[in-house]
Amino acid sequence: MTTDVFTMEIIKDALVAIGEEMFSAVIRTSMSPIIYETTDFAVGVTDAKGNLLGQGNGVTAFLATLDTAVQSVLEHYPAEGDIRPGDVIITNSPYAGGGTHLSDVVIVLPVFYADELIAFTVNKAHWTEVGGAQPGSVSTEATEIYQEGLHFRFLKLYEEGRLNRSLVQLIRDNVRLPDSTIGDMHAGVAAARVGGRRILELVNKYGCGELVSAMDSLLAYGERMTLVEMAKLPHGVYEAADVVEDDGLGNGPFTIKVKVSVNSEKMIADFSGTSCQAPGPVNCSYTGLVTGARCLFKAVTNPDIPANGGCFRPLEVVCPNGTLISACSPAPVSLYYESLIAAIDVMWKALAPVLPHCLSAGHQRSVGATFISGAHPETGDLYVMGEPLVGGWGASLGLDGDNGQFCCGNGETYNIPVELFESRYGLRVEQYAFNMEGGGAGQFRGGRGVITDYRVISDEAFLTYAASRTESRPWSLAGGSEGSTNYAQILRADGRVERFGMCTTVRAEKGELIRLTTANGGGYGSAEARELDAIEQDLLNGYVTPEQARREYGFAR
Amino acid sequence: MTTFRAASDVGGTFTDLVYYSVDEETAACGPVNATKTDTTPPNFERGVINSMRKASLSPADLSFFAHGTTVVINALTEKKGVKTALVTTKGFRDVLEIARGNRPDLFNFNFRKPKPFVERYLRAELDERVGYQGELLRGVDLEPLPKLLDYFRSHQVEAIAVCFLHSYASTENERLVVERIKQLWPEVSVLASHEISREWREYERTNTTVLAAYVHPIANRYIDSLEKQLHASGFRGKAFMMQSNGGIATVQAAKANPIAMVESGPASGIFAAAYLGKVIGEKNLIVLDIGGTTAKCALIEDGEVKVGTDYYIGKTRKNPGYPIQTPVTEIVEIGNGGGSIAWVDKGGKLHVGPQSAGADPGPAAYGKGGEEPTSTDANLALGRIDPNSFVGGEIEPDWGAVDRAFKPLRDRLGIDREALARGVIRIANANMTNALRLVSTNKGYDPRDFALIAFGGGGAMHAVALAEELKVPRVIVPVNSAVFSAWGMLLTDLRRDYLQTRPMPLGPANAPTVTDTFGSMIAQANKDYADEGIAASQITFEYHADMRYQGQEHTVKIALPIRRPEEPFEVDESIARFHDAHEQRYTYRLDTGVQLVNFHLVAVVSVPKPQLLPKPVTGRTLAQTSLPGRKVDFDKHGIHEAAIYDGLALEPGMTFKGPAVVQEPAVTLVVAPKHEVSVDGYGNYHVAISLED
Repeated sequence: MTTDVFTMEIIKDALVAIGEEMFSAVIRTSMSPIIYETTDFAVGVTDAKGNLLGQGNGVTAFLATLDTAVQSVLEHYPAEGDIRPGDVIITNSPYAGGGTHLSDVVIVLPVFYADELIAFTVNKAHWTEVGGAQPGSVSTEATEIYQEGLHFRFLKLYEEGRLNRSLVQLIRDNVRLPDSTIGDMHAGVAAARVGGRRILELVNKYGCGELVSAMDSLLAYGERMTLVEMAKLPHGVYEAADVVEDDGLGNGPFTIKVKVSVNSEKMIADFSGTSCQAPGPVNCSYTGLVTGARCLFKAVTNPDIPANGGCFRPLEVVCPNGTLISACSPAPVSLYYESLIAAIDVMWKALAPVLPHCLSAGHQRSVGATFISGAHPETGDLYVMGEPLVGGWGASLGLDGDNGQFCCGNGETYNIPVELFESRYGLRVEQYAFNMEGGGAGQFRGGRGVITDYRVISDEAFLTYAASRTESRPWSLAGGSEGSTNYAQILRADGRVERFGMCTTVRAEKGELIRLTTANGGGYGSAEARELDAIEQDLLNGYVTPEQARREYGFAR
Repeated sequence: MTTFRAASDVGGTFTDLVYYSVDEETAACGPVNATKTDTTPPNFERGVINSMRKASLSPADLSFFAHGTTVVINALTEKKGVKTALVTTKGFRDVLEIARGNRPDLFNFNFRKPKPFVERYLRAELDERVGYQGELLRGVDLEPLPKLLDYFRSHQVEAIAVCFLHSYASTENERLVVERIKQLWPEVSVLASHEISREWREYERTNTTVLAAYVHPIANRYIDSLEKQLHASGFRGKAFMMQSNGGIATVQAAKANPIAMVESGPASGIFAAAYLGKVIGEKNLIVLDIGGTTAKCALIEDGEVKVGTDYYIGKTRKNPGYPIQTPVTEIVEIGNGGGSIAWVDKGGKLHVGPQSAGADPGPAAYGKGGEEPTSTDANLALGRIDPNSFVGGEIEPDWGAVDRAFKPLRDRLGIDREALARGVIRIANANMTNALRLVSTNKGYDPRDFALIAFGGGGAMHAVALAEELKVPRVIVPVNSAVFSAWGMLLTDLRRDYLQTRPMPLGPANAPTVTDTFGSMIAQANKDYADEGIAASQITFEYHADMRYQGQEHTVKIALPIRRPEEPFEVDESIARFHDAHEQRYTYRLDTGVQLVNFHLVAVVSVPKPQLLPKPVTGRTLAQTSLPGRKVDFDKHGIHEAAIYDGLALEPGMTFKGPAVVQEPAVTLVVAPKHEVSVDGYGNYHVAISLED
């Protein structure tokens, strides 16, 4: 039948649209700001074998967490009849498929047509609370995963449609904000069910056979589109290494190494030679590493088409167990994203020299997660402010770097407007301005990081801060200069200035200033090659000080 | 004495004029007429005058004239505004460039955000500060201003935007700066943020003010020139400008806040749908307007068109765009229209749009050099469009060109012309279904509770198939559906939206504050209208609020239960309405406290409207309206010998079933088998969708 081509197209588009619909279902039903404001979640659909068909993302860092979760579910329940209609599976295990840190909880819903398993819908979202030693379940000081919260390993939250009430009560009794946590859980189930219903509608409309062949055809399309791009990549072997400075307990630096081999059918990213897992919570699981590798792979192949499992067939990720980016139980993992982002960055660094139109020089490379708590001066209520930070991105061939953007692990993430911020928290923002330290000089200039100043106006406030690139600098390309570093400071009333790369609940008093500085991005090309017009324009705009123009560019008027 | 009331809308290709006569003694209205002339850039006002000439109207005959223009949006998208500077709070000049830091193009690691409209060297800071409760922490230091203005002059600045932190809560510092600038440099165009928006979020408000300043001189010159031409031709009536909120404003008000005209075109069709819905008793409508290049979707609930300030230009899946915090009708627009081009990507996947053949060269069948297949070509190939009355009978379809256009894709996919045409339409319909879902199911509405009203050149062609897909039980195609939006321009009232951010917990203690806040907003509205010679007694008010649960970010807009502003504010009822609206939108309700964030007052002054004229009944039979039948391809419903009706001849009360096609010169209503069409007293078509499969 000639019309089948189009039916196929429409089913394929519908499968991708299910991802988008579940995405808005999560935003609609979630009660946690980190989910509906920071969009720290992902939703997706896989086929019966766990091949990714479509995914809705708010951030890049969940790209390999959905299909691998389903694949691990299938390993945990291998026999026919282990998974039954009406089951819903919950997991947050960092050390298996879908794993990141305990706060990110995966809900998997098998979709049956009659008795046949035809697909899965799955989502993963950052719950505000999963218990553990620190409020918010994120610690810069954990030494074992047991301190980081509740750990679910592929449990059945529903069995044949019946809610496992004991499990729900166990969760409720072990978290600080039970209503919000249980609300997030129901939101995940509701979103998965929306997707499940849509898949059954497609079966009813087009037939089961048509749907399954559309799934296969969608995966093949993803692979085909990717191979078209792979043929254009420069074939060869590219290597890079970089560091994560600190694990939160003062250990480090830790090295991440990669060797990327590219030919027209395959890209192999081999991370052998990376440091062993750390005592502190900067460890990342193998799933996190696969996410990182996929992000970079997608960036250099085809970022335009929606991601599906077929797109990633040509990618192979190699790493021995027990490293910083393939950590094993019971390694603490709260700050896993710093190492994940470093893994993306090191692969980026290996390939950027040969893909200068597609990849920029190094950026701030850190979420720069900052938490400040205290009592609101107006109401006396406890406030906890949590935010990621924007920083400088690197320059690339032909373009200066972007000023003030969230790091590559974020995406549809928004900063908090000063006007909302001040009404919520006992802090006054005194500055939100580009970082005028040096660094990033080049024919094309690295982007500016940002300085944020918070004046404490409550009696006291407590700062928790976790970043990397606190001593190492964003890398440059083609002879440009490296960027600058990320750090937090407290400017004390007596004039002392304290500086931090990672810290937990450091006290600041009323009137003192908390200053957060993010790195300037790396430069591209030698500074001598920068056009005079561009330098003059930079001086006019104040992107470069006269002193920097003289020192970094040899510019004299 | 007979006068005329007219409205004109300047589009990218055509300038539309709609008008009707009014007997000033009896107030009896004549029928609504419409004409189209070419748009005449860069002197758009010439096209307006041309359109009047074509209609044999003299500006001297007009008692009322409303005008919609794309001059603002064009200046923004083509970056052809004036050189603009920004004055902001010390420490925050980079807010405009940092923006919100989001990167929708997730896997692009060579991303650049859109460039701000004011470069850094023209973003200046003054020492001043207001706190979040509107308290003055530091008065503004005006001392550096004279030097700063000299600097701006030396860089040929023509407009200045002033935006300070928390100025939505206290306007004092902004006012002082603007006053001083006007003294020191009377020629420069200067706008303060509080004149444009009183909502919080400093990046959005700053950007809005900057964009307003950027187009301010251009919009003013345009309106001045239009007024001058009209007056020179004897116009003595009142001129009004179309606004993005779906209302009109006096030219005076439009000149003061030009950014409010940014989306003046699309809204009028939506408001026309709401107006028609009220007349025919359909208060819940999904609205679909299919033009040549895009399809626009909106939702009307209980007769209310949704107007919000969460508007962007240039926003795509990959680009964060530029926010504009001005009241705009909520519309989803996608690149799918009659001229949308079908193409196949590198992986062999068929797409339709967003590229469009536009009006020139247009679809291949126009024979004007279009080489790529479009939706219109596909509809023609399937027999849905009558080849004998293509484009109102003005054009003989160029079948050779159609074949040539389809050939490469047919070869690529190995299928015949009809199969390809069906595929193109199916994919176009799937795109539009997704857009319709965005405004309905994705926001918590069940399409089965709505009727689909479809208009624009392609609305009637696709509406029935889309209704089947969405399970909407009824389709309405209004009389004159091809020029329905233009007709809507004559239905718009004078409208001003006042939004004010003033976050507060909503409880009995704050009821007087709510009353007071609306009281001062009403006073402002009365004053603004009085400045234009409109008495307070003519104004009606609607009261809305953006509310949320304590601790949440997103708000939900609700209509407040206020009948008379001086009566005590009903807190409990307001909170109950919020809970209901929140549950509808987000599926749950909480026990948490409720916060009122934005006050939203709508001040409307009704203008006389053309009456909907009943369609005459002559006793003609259905058979007498029928045209020669032809084979029509209804895709999944098969190929049928369809009944063809002359839409202009159909009369109220007539009913018939598909397979059928109703044809008017610029409208084709395609009705698959089983669905039943009836014609109401005004000549609107109602299609009852048979939902059994």
